[in-house]
Amino acid sequence: MQLQYQGSPFSDPGFSAPELQLSSLPPAVVSFKTWHALDDRERLSHAQGAFLALTQHLQLVGDDQRDLNPGSPMLLAQIGAARLRAQGLLGNMAAIMTALGLPIPPEEDTLGVVPFGASAFERKCRGYVVTREYGHWTDRAVRDLALLKAKYPG
Amino acid sequence: MALFSVFQTTFLLALLSLRTYQSEVLSEPLPWAPESLRVFINSTHQCLHLQWSVHNLAHHQELKMVFQIEISRIKTSNVIWVENYSTTVKWNQVLHWSWESKLPLECAKHFIRMRSAVDDAKTPEQSFWSNWSSWEEVHVQNSLGHDPFFVFPKDKLVEEGSNVTICYVSRSQPNNISCYLEGVRMQGEQLEPNVSVFNLNHVAFIRETGTNIYCKGDQGDSIKGIVLFVSKVLEEPKDFSCETQDLTTLNCTWDPRSDTGLLKQLSQSYTLFESFSGKKTLCKHKSWCSWEVAPESQEMYNFTLTAENYLRKRSVHLLFNLTHRVHPMAPFSVLFTDVSATNATMTWKVHTTGNYYTLLCQVELYGEGEVIQRNVSVEVDGKQLFGGLKPDTEYRAQVRCANANHFWKWSEWTRQNFTTAEAAPSEAPDVWRNVKSVQGHSVVTLFWKPLSKLQANGKILFYNIVIENLDRSSISKLLSIPAPANGTELNLDQCLYQIHVTANNSVGTSPASVIIVSGDPGNKEVEEERVKGMEDGFSLSWKPQPGNVTGYIVEWCDHPRGPLCDLQWKSVGPTTTSTVVSSDAFRPGVQYNFRIYGISTERVPYLLEKKTGYSQELAPSDNPQVVMSNLTSRSFTLSWKDYSIESQPSFIQGYHVYLKSKAGQCHSGSEKAVLSDDAVCCKYRIDNPKQKTFVVENLQPESFYEFLVTPYTSVGEGPHGAFTKVTTPDEYSPILIRIILPMVFCILLIMIICYLKSQWMKEKCYPDIPDPYKSSVLSLIKSKENPRLTIMSIKDCVPDSIEVLNKQEGTRKSLTETESSKATYLYLLPTEKSYSGPGPCICFENFTYNQAASDSASCGHVPVAPVAPLSQLGLLTSPENLLKALEKNYMNSLGEIPAGETNLNYVSQLASAMSGDKFILPTNPPEPALCSEYKMQMAIPLGLASPPSSGSSSLSSVTLLDEGEHYH
Repeated sequence: MQLQYQGSPFSDPGFSAPELQLSSLPPAVVSFKTWHALDDRERLSHAQGAFLALTQHLQLVGDDQRDLNPGSPMLLAQIGAARLRAQGLLGNMAAIMTALGLPIPPEEDTLGVVPFGASAFERKCRGYVVTREYGHWTDRAVRDLALLKAKYPG
Repeated sequence: MALFSVFQTTFLLALLSLRTYQSEVLSEPLPWAPESLRVFINSTHQCLHLQWSVHNLAHHQELKMVFQIEISRIKTSNVIWVENYSTTVKWNQVLHWSWESKLPLECAKHFIRMRSAVDDAKTPEQSFWSNWSSWEEVHVQNSLGHDPFFVFPKDKLVEEGSNVTICYVSRSQPNNISCYLEGVRMQGEQLEPNVSVFNLNHVAFIRETGTNIYCKGDQGDSIKGIVLFVSKVLEEPKDFSCETQDLTTLNCTWDPRSDTGLLKQLSQSYTLFESFSGKKTLCKHKSWCSWEVAPESQEMYNFTLTAENYLRKRSVHLLFNLTHRVHPMAPFSVLFTDVSATNATMTWKVHTTGNYYTLLCQVELYGEGEVIQRNVSVEVDGKQLFGGLKPDTEYRAQVRCANANHFWKWSEWTRQNFTTAEAAPSEAPDVWRNVKSVQGHSVVTLFWKPLSKLQANGKILFYNIVIENLDRSSISKLLSIPAPANGTELNLDQCLYQIHVTANNSVGTSPASVIIVSGDPGNKEVEEERVKGMEDGFSLSWKPQPGNVTGYIVEWCDHPRGPLCDLQWKSVGPTTTSTVVSSDAFRPGVQYNFRIYGISTERVPYLLEKKTGYSQELAPSDNPQVVMSNLTSRSFTLSWKDYSIESQPSFIQGYHVYLKSKAGQCHSGSEKAVLSDDAVCCKYRIDNPKQKTFVVENLQPESFYEFLVTPYTSVGEGPHGAFTKVTTPDEYSPILIRIILPMVFCILLIMIICYLKSQWMKEKCYPDIPDPYKSSVLSLIKSKENPRLTIMSIKDCVPDSIEVLNKQEGTRKSLTETESSKATYLYLLPTEKSYSGPGPCICFENFTYNQAASDSASCGHVPVAPVAPLSQLGLLTSPENLLKALEKNYMNSLGEIPAGETNLNYVSQLASAMSGDKFILPTNPPEPALCSEYKMQMAIPLGLASPPSSGSSSLSSVTLLDEGEHYH
């Protein structure tokens, strides 16, 4: 949905640019072997770190889109809702880590000063990357939590 | 020493270099060359800003100079721009110059150098170029990051239709990068080995959020792109105009044309500048702006409206005199004074806009389809008198004003309604009458038509009727009928009356309508003439009257079939002898009657002509109700006396009588006709519509006929509905009826008498117990005069007894086995013993009671078997035979009777006494256990078992035969 507002090539059908990445946002894509070899602490720590970065990036993308698409309140509302969900998941993960007796990584500013002064096209690109990674990390978090649930039934 | 020598050498070198420099400077012909040249880059605007200074100027010295600036791209030899920049240079001044590059500065290196010359008349000897400054290199790529390639310019804002140059800079060579504009690959040209340039001509506006241009390498490199913001071209405002309503505020309006607002650029702004006052205001709205008029009397205004956005400015100008742009406010306090029936005065006020000019006001008055328009010159208050108005009429007035001296625009309308006063009705009501004579009196019904609005001049309140007896002129009578009545009924005598009718409203009375009414309704017998209706009504014409006639009146009923005829009339002048009567109430198939009256000079109406017709004739929908009478074998009579000719939907011209018969032959006077159902019948035609009987003749006796009577008109005949069936009688049946009816009556009479005297008849003819003395046998006997023959007396008889045998169940014994059975004896004739006690009932049915005449006065009783055939009985000539027969029959009957039943045995006392056979007759029979009941004994009169005396035997036989015949 976010892509529909950005114009070509983002709004083109089947648009995909996996090469676009943000150094400040850890990619969710991971090989199954690597993922499976992670222990609980690493697994939760990765997800926790990713969603912490995502909340900050979604805030950034929301600001970007407020400039780029001021006439699309629905888009802005959806980005805001996604950020709140990410924050909610972050809170739940912290609770799980506490319950498992794992240390919670400290919150850090993942964005720093890097994003300011980006061009409109760069902001469109990073909006794409953030929303894409948000989707991927959500899928991965579901798998992570399902694995944990299987490991700690009840 | 060495240190000293080094120092000395350095000093010498420095001195040498200073000398060299001085020699160079001294060799420069111009002492004011540009110095301290610095170049600044503005990537956003693709601009190079140059900054330099000129030394050696004296304090407060100003010198006009020309600076020649040279710009090269990629390499210094590739000069792409040369410009001479002229300016006045002051002491210690820092000079600036900017240059906008078509190519993004990031796409290539740029080199800038400049030289100067004095362009001042004061120092003509110095007017030659200085030496070039050294090349200043501008290389933005140095500051780029480490990405594989970049696209420039970033977020550029251009106008629609302009040309844009885009480039990408790759870090690696060779590169294979493709660039796309909205998904379409662009063709570029190589500027450098790692730089490609794309020229976009006449870029189009696509969307407010910009046009994406992106590049990507075929090695899966990252996507890089830019957003090109293309704005619509700012247009000049249209229809710029200013006006004032109150001379204190000017309201300027314009058409802003297209909005050039973009994500990266706000919509254009508008600024209003007045050159005489030098005031400027930023307009808050896109299409209008207010301007406060200066309190001092500034008459002329020169406005400049400037539209401006990020890229462009557009201006329009307007010069005007304030007093020529006055658009007055709408007038107010519109009032009507002195409103009479025909006149009214209208007043209004206008807003004061200054003391030095007048307003021109336009007043319009609408009422009853007419428009009155006036122009009035007004300074403060307006006033206008309207005359010739119609009474009791609502008028709508409106007024607007404009500057009288310099017309600019009319103000808005201000509207007000008023109604003129009432006046007396102007016309006499149209009056007509209907006169009926009832028992020596005249019942006069007066009708009048309501006055039109134009005639009434107000609301009619009542009608005054003055009845003046012309025969006795002193007597007059006044009636007042309240509106909205449109008629009244008067009972007058046979005198001549003059009736005046006036209509009255609150103001006065209308002229009187006069009509003369006499006891004679004036309905003399005149011939009724038929007229043919047309679409728009009935066209009536009449003969002109020789005498003096003041007019004619045509009278008719709108609803002639209704209980209220709804009398209508139409008055025409004395010279008119034809008119068209039309009414919305006229319907097809309804007969309308018109009476045309002439009005004499004495105002007495008299009937001239009668017309009747249909607006449209329709075929009859019903057939007459026909009564058939006088039916004979050869004819019958049809009659439809109740059929009304007048109430039919068209003029009845006659009747058709259809007769269907099996013979199918038509006699004279009729013709063959084929009906719609292909049935063939005979048609009789009656041409006189008043003839409502018809005799159908020449019929066949005992034949079946069907008939139908239907009217025919000019538009067809009635429906061929149900035929009435009739069968003619035969010729003889009337005669037969005359004979049979009296006969039937007589027979009935006899039967009634017989019934009433049935007892007597029975006694006479069929007594239950025949009285031998009354029997015909007796007469027969007497006739033969045989003294020996007499009638047996009952008293002489010894009663027979009946033996009832109770048999054992399951046993079948013959009559001879009576010893073992218990016998019960009953007596046929009542004896004391036989009725002495109760007992079981025994029914005797069809037992024959035999009587035998005996000379010795003894009774010979012979038992008879039940249902013995007569032939068999006839053979029983002796008691023995009889007993045998009895036995035989009895056995038969026993076989049919279930076991255990009681058997009867009839024992003749006489026989038993004489024959002495083995039957033992008990002398003292036991009390019967069962009761016996005697039922329906049938009398067989004589002879069957007579004693074997030869003389009586033949007689008995004869008697029996006689009785047998009679019995059957």
